[in-house]
Amino acid sequence: MSFVLTNLLSGLTYGMLLFLMAAGLSIIYGLMRIINLAHGSFFILASYVAYTFIRSGMNFWIGLVLAVIVIVLLAFVIEKFLISKVQSSETDQVLLTLGLIFVLGDLSLWIWGGDFLSVPVPGILNFSIEVGEIYFPAYRLFVLFVGILFAVLLWYFENKTKIGMVVRAGVDDMKMVSALGFNIKLMFTGVFLFGAGLAAIGGVLGGPILGMYPTMEYEILVNSLIVVIIGGLGSWKGAFIGAILVGLVDVFGKLYVPTFSMALIFVLMVVILMFKPTGLFGRVET
Amino acid sequence: MKRIILSTIGLMAAVLFIPVVASPYVIYLSTEVLIMAIFAMSLGLIMGFGGMPSLGHSALFGLGAYTVVALSQYVSNVYVLLGAALILTLIFSLITGFIAMRNTGIFFLMVTLAFTQVLYLISSGMNLWGGADGMSTMVRANFGFGNIASSTGLFYMIGVFFVLSYFLLKVYTSSPMGKILKGVMENESRMTALGFNPKIFKTAAYTLAGGMAGIAGALYIYKNQFVSPELFSVHTAAEAMIMVFIGGYGTIFGPALGAGAFVFIENYVSSFTDRWSLILGLIFIAIVMLKRGGIIHLLSLAWNSIVRMRKKMFSERKRNVVEVKEEEEMVNERITKSQ
Repeated sequence: MSFVLTNLLSGLTYGMLLFLMAAGLSIIYGLMRIINLAHGSFFILASYVAYTFIRSGMNFWIGLVLAVIVIVLLAFVIEKFLISKVQSSETDQVLLTLGLIFVLGDLSLWIWGGDFLSVPVPGILNFSIEVGEIYFPAYRLFVLFVGILFAVLLWYFENKTKIGMVVRAGVDDMKMVSALGFNIKLMFTGVFLFGAGLAAIGGVLGGPILGMYPTMEYEILVNSLIVVIIGGLGSWKGAFIGAILVGLVDVFGKLYVPTFSMALIFVLMVVILMFKPTGLFGRVET
Repeated sequence: MKRIILSTIGLMAAVLFIPVVASPYVIYLSTEVLIMAIFAMSLGLIMGFGGMPSLGHSALFGLGAYTVVALSQYVSNVYVLLGAALILTLIFSLITGFIAMRNTGIFFLMVTLAFTQVLYLISSGMNLWGGADGMSTMVRANFGFGNIASSTGLFYMIGVFFVLSYFLLKVYTSSPMGKILKGVMENESRMTALGFNPKIFKTAAYTLAGGMAGIAGALYIYKNQFVSPELFSVHTAAEAMIMVFIGGYGTIFGPALGAGAFVFIENYVSSFTDRWSLILGLIFIAIVMLKRGGIIHLLSLAWNSIVRMRKKMFSERKRNVVEVKEEEEMVNERITKSQ
C-alpha cells in the first residue's frame, strides 16, 4: 500500500511537470496555430541554466527566477526573428523548430557536456514528511502543489480575466479578434513568452527529480505532445487531465511492465484518438 | 510515360558510370547516398505529393533494418530477408497509416512521431536484439549468382533498387492514383465531393512509402552490418526530412539529390568538427528563412532563366528584322509619294 502511494505521488509530480510543459505547447498551438517542437528544449535548457547558477553558489529560488528570465529572453529572440516569419506554413514551422532543437541541443552538449547532471534539492525542502509508515519527500509534494497552483491560476486567468477572455476568443476565431481591434502580434508574443516561461519553471523544478542529459528534450517533448493530444489542443483543462493520466501511466507502467511503459501511454493515446479525434477537451475544428 | 522511361535510363546510366570514375571512398559514400535516397524519396512522396509531414518515417527504416538483423540469425537467403522486411513494413505502415490518417497536419505529425518513439524505447529496452547497444550481424547478399562482397558490387546492387524505386515512384505519381493523391493534398474537400475517398488514397501512398523505407532500411544492413535503436530516433526522421527539403520538396528526384548533398556535406563537416548537429540545425533554419526551395528548384530556376534569355535574344533579333523592314517600307512609300 505504501509502495503504491509513494509511486502515486511520483506519478502526480511527473504529471505536474508535464502539465507545465504541455500548457504552453497547447495554448501556443491553440492561439497561434504554431507547433513549437523546440518547447522541450526550453524545458531542459532552463534546468541547465539553473544548474549553472546554483552550482556557482546561488540560492535555488534566485536561480529559478534567473533561469526563467534567461529562457523567456531566449524565447523572445526566437519568436521575434524566427517563429513570427513562418506563421503561414506548417511544414516550415516543423522544419524550423526541429532545427532549433538540434541547435539548442548541440549547444547545451557543448557547454554542459554529455554527463547526467542534476539540480540539488533546495535545502529548505530537503526532508521527508512521515505519514504512518510512508515517507513523502517534501520536494515532490511542493512540485505537486506548484502544479495545482498553476492549474488554478490558469483557470482563473482563462475564465475570469479580460485577457483570458480575449485569448479564449482568439483560440476560437483569431481573425474576428483582430478585426475587433486587439493587437494580435503583441498577444502572440505574450502567449509565446508565457508558454516558454511555464516550460522553464517546469524545467527548473524538474531538475532535482528528472535530472538533465542529452536527448532528454525529445523524451519530454514526446510525452508532452501526447499530453496535448490526449487533452486536446488549445485547452488548459485538457492539458491538466492529460498530464495526470500520462504521468500516472508512465510511473506505474515503468513499475509493472518496464519495457512497454511507453507503449502503454501510446495505446492510451490511440484509444482516445479513436473515439475523440480532437482529444478529450479539444474543440471541434471547423 | 516516354519521359519517365528516358529519365530512368539516364539515371541508370549515371549509376553505372559512377564506379568507373569514382575513388573507392566516393563509391562507399555513394552507396550510402543511394540508400538514403530511396528513404528520402519515399518520404518525399508522402510529404510532397500527399501533404503528410511524417516524423515517423524512421520507424519504417529501422523496422526494415531490425527485421533483417533479427532474421539473419536463422536464414541467410537475401530474397527471404528483403521479402520479410518488405512485408513487415508494409503491414506496419498500413496499420499505423490507418490510425494516423484520422488526423491531418500537426496531429498526423505527432501520431507518427509517437509511433517512432515507441519503437525506439522498445528496441532500446529489450535485451533480445542487443538493447541500447545495438547488434551487429554478418549478411551477404546472394541473388543466385554468388555473394556480393566487393564495394562496387554492393553499389550496383543498391543502385538497382534505387533505379527501381525511382521508376516506381515516377509511374505512381503520374498514374491516376498519384494524380488523385495530389488533388487530395491540394483540396481535400473538392476531391471528396468528386466522389473519391481521400483516406484510401492517402493510406495507399503511405503504405507504399513505408514499404520503400523498409527496403532502404534492409539494404542499410547489407552495407553497415549493424543496427541500433538510433535508427528509430527523431534524429533519423529529421535527417530524412531535411534531405527532402535540401533536394526539393514536391518532386521525386529532388529528395535523392538532397540525400546526396546531405551525405557528402555531413562527411565533409564531420571530418573537421564534432558540431555537425549544430550545423545541421542551422541548415534547417537557413532553408526555412531563405525560402528558396531545394537544389532541384534552383536548378530548374537556372534552366528556365537560360531558356528565357535565349527566347528573349531570339525575339529581339526578330523584332529588329521587322523594324528594319517597316522602316524600309516607309522610306519607299515616301520616295514613291515624292515622285
